[in-house]
Amino acid sequence: MSGVSTVPNGSADGPRQELLARAAIDRSCRAPVLLFAGSAVLWLLVGSVWALLAAVKMHTPGLLTSWEPLTFGRVRPVHLNMTIFGWASMSGIAVLLWLQARLARARLPFPNLLIAGGVVWNLALAAGVWEISAGHGTSVEWIEIPLFWALVFAAVFAVVMAASLTMFARRNVAHVYVSQWYLFGAVLWFPFLYLMANALIHAGFTRGVTAAATNWWFAHNVLGLWLTPIGLATIYYLIPKVIGAPIHSYHLSLLGFWSLALFYNWAGTHHLIGGPLPAWLVTVGIVGSVMMFVPVVTVGINHHMTMVGHFHRLADSPTLRFVVFAGMSYTVVSVQGSLTSLRSINEINHFTHYTVAHAHLGVYAFFSMAMFGALYYVLPRLTGREWSSARLIKVHFWASAAGIALYWGPLTVGGWLQGLAMNNPDVPFLEVMTGTVSWLWGRTAAGALMTVGHLVFAWLVARMLLSREPAPAVAAGPEPAGEGA
Amino acid sequence: MNRAFWLYLGVLVTVVASFMGLVQIPDHQLRGLEPVTDEQGVERPVRPEGGVLAGRQEYIGLGCLYCHSQQVRPEGFGSDIARGWGMRRTVARDHVWDAPPVLGTMRTGPDLANIAVRQPSAAWHLLHLYKPRLTSPGSLMPEYPFLFTEQRVELERPADALSFPTGDPRPGWVIVPTQRARDLVAYLGSLDHSYPVPEVRP
Amino acid sequence: MTLVYGMIWIVVLGFAASAVGALVWAIQHGQMERFGSAARSIFDEEEPVGTPTDAFPRSPAERRP
Repeated sequence: MSGVSTVPNGSADGPRQELLARAAIDRSCRAPVLLFAGSAVLWLLVGSVWALLAAVKMHTPGLLTSWEPLTFGRVRPVHLNMTIFGWASMSGIAVLLWLQARLARARLPFPNLLIAGGVVWNLALAAGVWEISAGHGTSVEWIEIPLFWALVFAAVFAVVMAASLTMFARRNVAHVYVSQWYLFGAVLWFPFLYLMANALIHAGFTRGVTAAATNWWFAHNVLGLWLTPIGLATIYYLIPKVIGAPIHSYHLSLLGFWSLALFYNWAGTHHLIGGPLPAWLVTVGIVGSVMMFVPVVTVGINHHMTMVGHFHRLADSPTLRFVVFAGMSYTVVSVQGSLTSLRSINEINHFTHYTVAHAHLGVYAFFSMAMFGALYYVLPRLTGREWSSARLIKVHFWASAAGIALYWGPLTVGGWLQGLAMNNPDVPFLEVMTGTVSWLWGRTAAGALMTVGHLVFAWLVARMLLSREPAPAVAAGPEPAGEGA
Repeated sequence: MNRAFWLYLGVLVTVVASFMGLVQIPDHQLRGLEPVTDEQGVERPVRPEGGVLAGRQEYIGLGCLYCHSQQVRPEGFGSDIARGWGMRRTVARDHVWDAPPVLGTMRTGPDLANIAVRQPSAAWHLLHLYKPRLTSPGSLMPEYPFLFTEQRVELERPADALSFPTGDPRPGWVIVPTQRARDLVAYLGSLDHSYPVPEVRP
Repeated sequence: MTLVYGMIWIVVLGFAASAVGALVWAIQHGQMERFGSAARSIFDEEEPVGTPTDAFPRSPAERRP
């Protein structure tokens, strides 16, 4: 039974009150969270189509070249924006709203405003990727959507921020759990950074290499102050909840959070090593990236020690599989990131497919797998239904896990070889190019496998959201006295 | 106040100091950057205008930077200079007019910071944009046929009609670049950072 | 341009101040103590420590009483 508790029979009022309160909290989240989650899954599907298009075009450049909106230089940023601002951000918002409601033991406020926000976000993203496809993209990586629509996103961010602060102010708990700290980082800091970067770059306040530094300081913060905190907050809550055991070292978890909050946003200029920036500015980015070893190792030890003695539960919990995979991937991708920022390594892998593989390891193997795990936990609790097929869940897991492993492995090797060849001036550039082709085919195959997983997941979600079978009257109970008055 | 508090506060003060450094010093270093004047009295980098500026917008709207970089790394770090991609590394001064710069982060294709020096022929660029594998066998660059139109040959063959190594694809018709293609090639023809700058010793 | 750098300064110092403020608040409100109970704060009487809360869905056959 995927987690919807049964109503206890006439026992002491305490547990029943707590159960009904939790059910009421989950119920208050229902419409906004399901809207954001459902939208996220749709963007995952469309984003996967554009992903496959981009992947194929890289090794078969003659494909679909006569239609201008599908030229590679537009397909690639459209894919990025659909998956980051569509799938990742919307699933992230769905999960962070529900998680904060749970942590505060407070109901989700102003649901209608949040629903409107979700609708507006979808429209803004659709408009934004349309603009890119029409040739109005800005070519500023991660901020390709023109300024007008960025302001619309910022307005919805503000509503999400307001909901988060309201729940915190109304909290019914004494302790602020570590996941809540991470989510504060996400909902409070990131919207301001998003606005700043868009204003500074697109409104022309910066130009030249200052704009470049601002660009990559921002783009790295999408990972460090938006996606990573949501992912880690999710893992810190779901591992203990699923296995029924608390975090191994709570002290370590707080240290991990504060050190991440302080160091992560220095790292952005590691994207410009060797570039026309003042050398010391790049060095600072490298130092910040290497300092990340501290929070990353802390988090890794903590998650691992929490799981020790409970690894057998991976066999019978879908959420746990995805979330533990995500946690392990976080350690791997962050260690890789710290090493990749060292000049001697960067000299080889910069400008190659190695970087693309690293990016997907982070956004997919860590963040997306955490979101899959979270949605497998949350959706039954909001709809009162069970997932329709354990077998399909396993198909999804293995397609995604094997898919990203097949994506990352060959593309990392191919990218590294590409970099070595590029650094050898005796190798003609056309030969560097053709040498990557077989690795790129491997990536396309991996992407196809991942897409199969997404189709399965979308099917499962659709069955759950659209099923006509009546939701069983579990955990719904009569309204506790005093609520809904 | 216990020891942990002072530790945390110390770390935070360090962070504020680093932000002062990240904002203040680059601003001080880069604020006064101006173009240099070369021996012919021309300001370098040249401020883009007209067709070159329009071409830069094409470069941005078509997403060329997702495969091409425009930054030459220093000698000894990578082999950018050894490959002939530049006489010197590119510096902040080279981008004073760029709002935003198109430095790029991928080299699926070669770096273009000095492409005007390496490949000054507009005709080559037009043919390459139309069908990259004609000029560069095995290239992974996509085609841009929508930047060109087909025209029936009337009396005279237009001067800017593409000349194919094996003759026109369709007899009696020629492929002619649109204004967009001409602008883009004008922009590529402006990408020359070989002029000396004080930051790089010759 | 000075206005822009002024804005950046304000935002950056605001971040730093908010982080310091958050830390001070956390310490004053005892968030850095009682880690045992803190880690257990996500559990309750209905979903106590020792109770798993997730499993694969049972097949329809298994669900029939």
